[in-house]
Amino acid sequence: MTDIALSMQDRTNPRFNRGSRLVDTVSRAGLLIAILAVVLYGALASPVFFTTGNLVNVLTSMAIVGIVVVGMTFVLVVGGLADLSVPATIACGAILSLALQPMIGPVPAFVLAVALAGACGLVNGLLVGYVGINPIIATLGVGTIVLGIVQAAVGGVIVYGTDPATAALVKSRVLGIPTIALIFLAIALIGNFVLSRSFWGRWTIATGGNYSAAEASAVPVRAVKAGAFIITALCSGLSGALLGLTLQSARPLVGTGYEFSAITAVVVGGVSIMGGFGSVPRAIAGLVFVQLLTNVMVLQGVRTPVQGFILGLLIAIAVALDVALRKRGVA
Amino acid sequence: MALLSQIARYRVALILGLTLIVASLLVPGFLSLTTLGLGLDRSSTIGIIAIGLTVLLIAGQIDLSGGAVFALAGIVSIQLQPSLGLWPAACVGVLTGAAAGALNGILSVGFKVNSLVATLATMLIFRSIAHWITASQPVSGTDIMFSLALAKIYFDIFTVRSALFLAAILLLHFWLTRTVSGRNLFAVGSNAIAAEASGISSGKMVFLGFVFASTLAGVAGVLQSLATNTGSPMFGSELTVSVIAAVVVGGTRLEGGRGSALGTLGGVLTIASLTTAMEFQSVPAYVQQVVAGLILILLVVLDRTVRTTARANTRAAVSA
Repeated sequence: MTDIALSMQDRTNPRFNRGSRLVDTVSRAGLLIAILAVVLYGALASPVFFTTGNLVNVLTSMAIVGIVVVGMTFVLVVGGLADLSVPATIACGAILSLALQPMIGPVPAFVLAVALAGACGLVNGLLVGYVGINPIIATLGVGTIVLGIVQAAVGGVIVYGTDPATAALVKSRVLGIPTIALIFLAIALIGNFVLSRSFWGRWTIATGGNYSAAEASAVPVRAVKAGAFIITALCSGLSGALLGLTLQSARPLVGTGYEFSAITAVVVGGVSIMGGFGSVPRAIAGLVFVQLLTNVMVLQGVRTPVQGFILGLLIAIAVALDVALRKRGVA
Repeated sequence: MALLSQIARYRVALILGLTLIVASLLVPGFLSLTTLGLGLDRSSTIGIIAIGLTVLLIAGQIDLSGGAVFALAGIVSIQLQPSLGLWPAACVGVLTGAAAGALNGILSVGFKVNSLVATLATMLIFRSIAHWITASQPVSGTDIMFSLALAKIYFDIFTVRSALFLAAILLLHFWLTRTVSGRNLFAVGSNAIAAEASGISSGKMVFLGFVFASTLAGVAGVLQSLATNTGSPMFGSELTVSVIAAVVVGGTRLEGGRGSALGTLGGVLTIASLTTAMEFQSVPAYVQQVVAGLILILLVVLDRTVRTTARANTRAAVSA
């Protein structure tokens, strides 16, 4: 909950300074209210909701998407629209970290898988930052290529883990908290530090806010833009590798849907799709909301397609709201 | 530099020619009429969606939801067959496409949501609806004979679908090059504000562009479902990359304001001959994906570099 408290601090943003009091309140605390409402509804509607087992489940699934969300925040803030190669980089992380285990051992396999995912991000970054290709097209294309190569590398089949010890390590708990959630927490803290406290984060926000102005004030805009895609790829590679180790199996389509979950979380958290504004805690608040909502829907027996439908609507509404609030704030 | 710009100008024809030569050398029997006819029939699915996307890209917008609309329209046209009959069901399928396009248009034009994000969200929505109404199972139609009729090859090369596609390309070419509204579309794509200032209602134009693109995706979906007598929520999931690749190979600019019907025809035929050739050589599906992705990236990079050089040249000429 400290995350949300943090996100409440950026009151200096011009976006929240004008407009009516009601709009002001809703845009500032809307997400917090929404999260509380979902928690309240979940608690009343389902006896399972507040059990430790369920909350740990939510935490675990949140951790896997959450690591991607941290990276995706950078892409959105830098004005890179979205990274659609996430499913491919997740598959890359998951498949390689399992497939390479017998050959080079679990730890090098893990590192290599994440590094190779990062290399995919480098390609994305070069195409978007230096060649200047539309990010969606670039990441869509690169994602297709990477997924194809990964599938070809393992022959298009499911890969199984060979080292149960690593699975036990990933699935273990520290003081009742899943290790994977602690890893997510660490990534989120690092991401938050980089985005809101470091020079790189200042550059990222400046580049997303006004590309030409940032370029004129000697910000290495191309490198910053490319960096955001590398960060996302590293994050999703890490998330994929953890996912692979948890499941001890990986199929090529293991990452499908994660790009939408991540984009939904970031956008619902109020990070602007136009770039130049946003923070990691904000994105994580969005993630908490989406994950709790999904969890309540699952507990209530809402079918998967309907969940997808609702999440799609959420993205559309959140982005439309963002545009509307922006207009109010600037005009 | 003149040579380079000539190459850039006619690169669609060049790429298509090269693809055909390489394919006919590597794949025995590639140039037989049957193969070409089948390839053309297959390509008409991508082609019909590509026509809609060409118009939308010229207007400066993009639609990622085409594949999902394709699946949804097909499912609607199949599922309504028992209650409405074949033709009315097909019409409702196409109308579903149009309605989907209207939603995209409202989000992009009305709510001013970036079209990439809007169609990304609607893609999720449409795909979910497709899974929802079919319970994720493929559905089959009532009249299997009709699909046979649809797959019949006339004059050794045309099927109903490919003839429809070619006719639509000709119509699009005529519309884009010979009519005022076609020219207005380019104006909207290159500079929406300037177009608005000169009396073109760019919002309306973009909205209609979205409706047009999704309607055509719907038509393609209905035709596909009728030809296979099946509707499936999984249909069209890998279409997005191929269609964008086909349009971009055809020289249509992603940022709007440039593109042509004949270019799209060339792009579609290139992608189709590549796919057919690879299938004849039993190249696995994922390798085909890699090739489609590589072509997309390479061409966008090429487009980018050639165009910036050309612009730098004009700038130099002006200052000199």
